[in-house]
Amino acid sequence: MSDTRLALGSLVKDVGGIRALIITVMPDCLMFDAWKHEQEPFEPEEVASYFGDLIRANREGLRALSSQGEDMQVTIEAGGRLVVLRELPGDFVAGFVMQKDTPLGMVRIHVKRILERLATVLPSFKPEERPKGVRVLDYLRRYAPDPHAALLRVSLRTGLPMDVLNAPEALTEAQANVVASTVRDILGLEELHV
Amino acid sequence: MLDRVLATRSLLPEHDLSFLADAPVIFHCHHFNLFLDQTIDDALGVEAGTALRTRAARDASYHLLSSLNRKLGLVTPAERLELAAALFAAMGHGRLEILTQATGGEGRGTWLHYGFAWHEKYGQAVRRRFPADAMAAGFMAAATEVAYGLPRESMQCTETACIAMRAPRCEFTFKPGKAEVPEIDVGTAQARAVVRPSFTGLYEDKIAAIAKGLRDFAGGVAGDERGLVQAFGVFVTLHLSTYYNRISYDAWNLVRERSPASLPVIEALLRESGHVCVFNTFGGILLSPEWEGMVGKIQGDPVEIVSGCTAIGRALGFGHWTLAELKPGERLVLRTPSTYESSYWVTREGPAQQGMCFFVQGAALAFMQLAERVPWTQRPKLTQEFYVELFRRGVPWSVKETKCIAKGDMACEVVVQKT
Repeated sequence: MSDTRLALGSLVKDVGGIRALIITVMPDCLMFDAWKHEQEPFEPEEVASYFGDLIRANREGLRALSSQGEDMQVTIEAGGRLVVLRELPGDFVAGFVMQKDTPLGMVRIHVKRILERLATVLPSFKPEERPKGVRVLDYLRRYAPDPHAALLRVSLRTGLPMDVLNAPEALTEAQANVVASTVRDILGLEELHV
Repeated sequence: MLDRVLATRSLLPEHDLSFLADAPVIFHCHHFNLFLDQTIDDALGVEAGTALRTRAARDASYHLLSSLNRKLGLVTPAERLELAAALFAAMGHGRLEILTQATGGEGRGTWLHYGFAWHEKYGQAVRRRFPADAMAAGFMAAATEVAYGLPRESMQCTETACIAMRAPRCEFTFKPGKAEVPEIDVGTAQARAVVRPSFTGLYEDKIAAIAKGLRDFAGGVAGDERGLVQAFGVFVTLHLSTYYNRISYDAWNLVRERSPASLPVIEALLRESGHVCVFNTFGGILLSPEWEGMVGKIQGDPVEIVSGCTAIGRALGFGHWTLAELKPGERLVLRTPSTYESSYWVTREGPAQQGMCFFVQGAALAFMQLAERVPWTQRPKLTQEFYVELFRRGVPWSVKETKCIAKGDMACEVVVQKT
């Protein structure tokens, strides 16, 4: 990947074993910027939202444990990769995708160094939250077992026409709440954190 | 005993509709079964959806079991219940213990098709909060009515634990209730009265030969030690088409009454249940060693795929599907003098105002997706991920049922075109 908004390529150029760096902006879990190794096949936009969801889920888990902290870090080892997620000031999340065989000690050093560099280049702004209906339906598309049919299912359950659901930014608060409740039921969740 | 049961199978040979002891039967996969049940619950809500599905299963199963007991001359409740449980497993629906009396009782299920297949397909992604086995519940209720000579549509059944909800086994309770007015059975005579004079289409010799070979092969298929049929990458059931038709059309009628604006939505989802079924099951058959042995290794030519799918549809009991027109990359016209959907609709609902064969619509759409969008020479695995990736942004083809026996036409005709 060549030039990016934050020039991430230059931030990671001397980091051994790194395959991607993805910056997600919360609470909407949208990709803000990304760098990836040219041989990586995935789409950073698709990964970014899951990274945001993971951070949010871990926050909820820690809240349930009464163990909230400012410096939460999520580490995942699976599928030949080591993923480190770290919250950043200003509602950002940094996702580091490393080769799994990178020594954990080295990973920690790399992460710390890059976070210091990121702190100097990340903009400071309060991101505008997207409307609830948009966030809820984005979440559904990410997690519904049959995403191609998910919107039809919401329409049939709620009675809201498809053209209304296809413009979720225009949903009224009451409509958005009904959609959120339906999405929660479809996904079998107790609560919907979006 | 099962040999005597299988001897009650019959076929309307020029219409490719199958019957077991007069009850119409077809083979369907877990993708179809789960998606259709889910659509009913989406339309009516879980409580009403489960109630309808249970009633439909009881209705269809009563027809099958009462006809079967008459034909086999079974008399005692014990032998009738024993036959019911054995038949359920042979049809690929799982293992049942029916512990009922005329006054009610209990039932248990292991490896039940719906609950088990739901858990396999969706269990890692979604937590299910209500039971999945209305088919087993209704079947056991009907078996109890037939075994003890109780009024039809009187035994009530509730599933109280379900493997889809991570219970170790499925459990059911039964109690007698007020009998509902039975619907007319849709059997061989009714289907014979509805079908139109048969005809042939393109590639007829090839399609007929493959269909016969597949039908012979399917005739020997029965549940394994779990009471499941696992083949071609799917779980297969020999199922009662009255169950599918009743839940589909009762839900469709209710949506039309209560929320007519949602009618196109439920129709799209009913079509999707056919689409997901044909894509996965027919595709799995085309990729199977059995197909390779019987027909030859699949090369990926659209004519080969579409004619093969047409033959599979006939063999599974969906009707005498023929190809009226096929322009690869552009257009398909599927025409048939018989569908299991129109037989039911005409018998129970009367004349229709529109095409009502939603399964055939979805199936024909899937034919063209299989023909045009699957890289056959790469021998792809038809996984859930493959399906979702292919159709995430919709289907770039349209489908319309231009003629339907249910509305008085001499055939059902579905046209699929590239959009």
